[in-house]
Amino acid sequence: MNSAAIERSNVGNIRLHVLPTDRFKTYAVTVHIGRRLSEDHVTPTALIPFVLRRGNSRFPETKTFREHLELLYGAGFGFDVTKRGDYQVVQFRMDMIHEKYVDHPHSLLEETLRFLGDTITRPLLEDGIFRKLYVEAEKNTLEKRIQSLINDKIRYAAERCIEEMCAGEPYRLHPLGRIEEIGRITPASLYEDYRRWLKEAAIDIYVVGSVSMSEVKSLVAEAFQYENNEPRAYEQVEPVQHARKEPKTVIERLDITQGKLNLGLRLPVTYADPDYPAALVYNGILGAYPHSKLFTHVRERASMAYYVSSRLHGHKGILAIQSGIEIANFEKANEIIRQQLEAIKDGQISDQELEKTKKMMCSQLREILDSAYEMTAFDFNNVLAGTDRTVASLIEAIQEVEKDDVQRIAQTVQLDTIYFLRDGEGGHDVERNTP
Amino acid sequence: MKEIRHEQVGETLYYERMPNGLDVYVLPKPGFQKTYATFATRYGSIDNHFRVDGGEKIKVPDGIAHFLEHKMFEEPQGDVFSQFASQGASVNAYTSFERTVYLFSATEQIDNNIESLLNFVQKPYFTDENVEKEKGIIAQEINMYKDHPDWQAYFGLIDAFYHVHPVHIDIAGTIESINQITKEHLYECYNTFYHPANMLLFIVGAVDPQKTMLLVYDNQAKKKFPKQGKIERFFDPEPPHIKLEKKVTRLPVAMPKCLFGFKETEVGLTGRQLLERECETKLLLELLFGPSSELYQKLYDQKLINDSFSHEYSSHTGYAFSVIGGDTPDPERLLDTVQKELEMWRKQGIQERDFERIRKKKIGSYMRMLNSLEAIANEFTRHHFRDQDLFDIPEVYQNMTLENIHERFEQHCRWSQMAASIVTNDG
Repeated sequence: MNSAAIERSNVGNIRLHVLPTDRFKTYAVTVHIGRRLSEDHVTPTALIPFVLRRGNSRFPETKTFREHLELLYGAGFGFDVTKRGDYQVVQFRMDMIHEKYVDHPHSLLEETLRFLGDTITRPLLEDGIFRKLYVEAEKNTLEKRIQSLINDKIRYAAERCIEEMCAGEPYRLHPLGRIEEIGRITPASLYEDYRRWLKEAAIDIYVVGSVSMSEVKSLVAEAFQYENNEPRAYEQVEPVQHARKEPKTVIERLDITQGKLNLGLRLPVTYADPDYPAALVYNGILGAYPHSKLFTHVRERASMAYYVSSRLHGHKGILAIQSGIEIANFEKANEIIRQQLEAIKDGQISDQELEKTKKMMCSQLREILDSAYEMTAFDFNNVLAGTDRTVASLIEAIQEVEKDDVQRIAQTVQLDTIYFLRDGEGGHDVERNTP
Repeated sequence: MKEIRHEQVGETLYYERMPNGLDVYVLPKPGFQKTYATFATRYGSIDNHFRVDGGEKIKVPDGIAHFLEHKMFEEPQGDVFSQFASQGASVNAYTSFERTVYLFSATEQIDNNIESLLNFVQKPYFTDENVEKEKGIIAQEINMYKDHPDWQAYFGLIDAFYHVHPVHIDIAGTIESINQITKEHLYECYNTFYHPANMLLFIVGAVDPQKTMLLVYDNQAKKKFPKQGKIERFFDPEPPHIKLEKKVTRLPVAMPKCLFGFKETEVGLTGRQLLERECETKLLLELLFGPSSELYQKLYDQKLINDSFSHEYSSHTGYAFSVIGGDTPDPERLLDTVQKELEMWRKQGIQERDFERIRKKKIGSYMRMLNSLEAIANEFTRHHFRDQDLFDIPEVYQNMTLENIHERFEQHCRWSQMAASIVTNDG
């Protein structure tokens, strides 16, 4: 019933994680391929899945590739490029209906793993490299995707805050890479990058559904064929602790109506730390919920925002606060937010706040077990951090967190960067005043 | 209590109508941790002109259904979020064109949470002061959407389609319209639309149907509601033709956004007929504009579209339209190419094998949707409010013919009914 029931094994350098369950109507398969974030690799690595999804050696044309998925009862197929701590993780997902709901005579799990194996390990090659047409088209797609990050101002402000805060660290990099690197990529260079990536990356495949490990193991061995060796572990990275005396303030102007105030903070706790559950509770009391301090004070009492919340970057040791406010309220909102940070430091945490937060967190953790992909994501945190937490053990640890623990965490949290996106001309011009 | 078996999808639904008229559905999901419940009223942003029991016609300010939704979270003693949090539940709500939905999700104290959901929605508490306070918050919500290019493109298109139908008014209203809202307005709307007979409770998850029905029954039996009068909704006659061919909105975007679509001329469909038209149109749009279509590949190869290109179809008794599009470097060329290609497809017709493939895709996607408790509750409610049954959908797809799709093509894709909405940096 929980992640303890996940069976593990490996095929070559692929780690397998299989959760047999009858609760879902589907086979949910996720392939994680992760490598250290680096300036050199980030852009080609981001481009690889875009090119792979155009066609493989079995279905070279994009149209037939997609038609095949439709014939498999509209199987969901997608990919994502994410940043987890100092790693860039490419995920491929397939969501396939179980054959019994559509009266299909054969195992649709086999079709799923075969399709993923073909797509990831038997790409379409022409003269021994990727097809030029696909590489060029996907370079354009990636470039436009990066440029369009500015469209969603909430996300844009969040990304920009992290970028400013982590200038000089790999974590500043966007998982989709850097626009200026795209031009240099050729079908040949990308194919080289792809081969190195498969060889050097850590690869984890999760399968959730009505399956067994032995079945998955033999299907994966057949479907994923490439030069392989031993499984690679994710290395642990120490959280960065800057001794910034005064927070860095960045003000950026765009032609917008609502101001976006984002704060970046550091704390010396990451996922593997025994204090991680206390950091989660801290974040919950501060800003993860509608009963949290930020929502209560900035929205409900001061009527200053519609959204205001905080979020923990658990693999990095960063806490990010985001809010949308009237531009003229910058100083006031900033002050109210900082008062909330101080209040927790001073131990102003009521029993009720603590209890509600713990209850909400535990309930949300249990809900993870109702979704194949959320269970996968939860367990993959363990792979990233080298831990073996289960939903049950994390719930237990959260229940033991006391007020003093939260206060202790609060005292280690340091405000690093204040980012404000406001109205005005100037496009991307950035005003900085770092006292 | 009525038991409704849906063999093909392996689900059993339980139904009972309470003496006060409230419809209650329970769908047990054995093995799931969570319970998800929605408590919904047939009342959304379009219901701004109405009358109860032959009384006086009432016209209310734009954005009031959404405002009311916000204000339901206020109680004389503490707020609702806190109360649910202390019972380990997440509570939320949303307002659409035609319904307002309150919901929670929880893994413990399910009975308490169900009662809390019923109680807070059935107990309005509006004061002059708390109504004023909310205006600042909603103003920020409105401002947030002003900066949201996708939302602006979407509402720009509806605005281009509709002359008078309130579907073209932003669900949250405007800063000016919400400033007119008073607690008297809120009580008026509440008393009209929040009667149990106008509402539906859907509970899905780790629950026992019999016990849950009894709990709801007892809860409702303790409350008194005046007899619900007949609600009449008024809509000024909407001309069938579009209002504008093109609407342009200026916002900072990396690349222009271009949404286009067709306004349906025939309105007034209900129930199964409306459902069939919806499914046929969705299948048609997937055939023409889906990622495996020739048109999609052509536009993608010409760099006229990217992965943001998508399509949807919204339909209701009083309005219906398609929304197609995404980011494009050249909205004019995109629209031109689409028109030429569609003409070609209209002459050429759709192949049987393509139709069969997309039919499979639609049925498979429907089945996968049933993994999500949230989707089941929300989609069931949406369909129920139109006298449709979510569980009829596989059958509708199975009975569909290629001829239906060709007819739909002719009826829906008419150039005179096409409008476009563009969001761009350029002035």
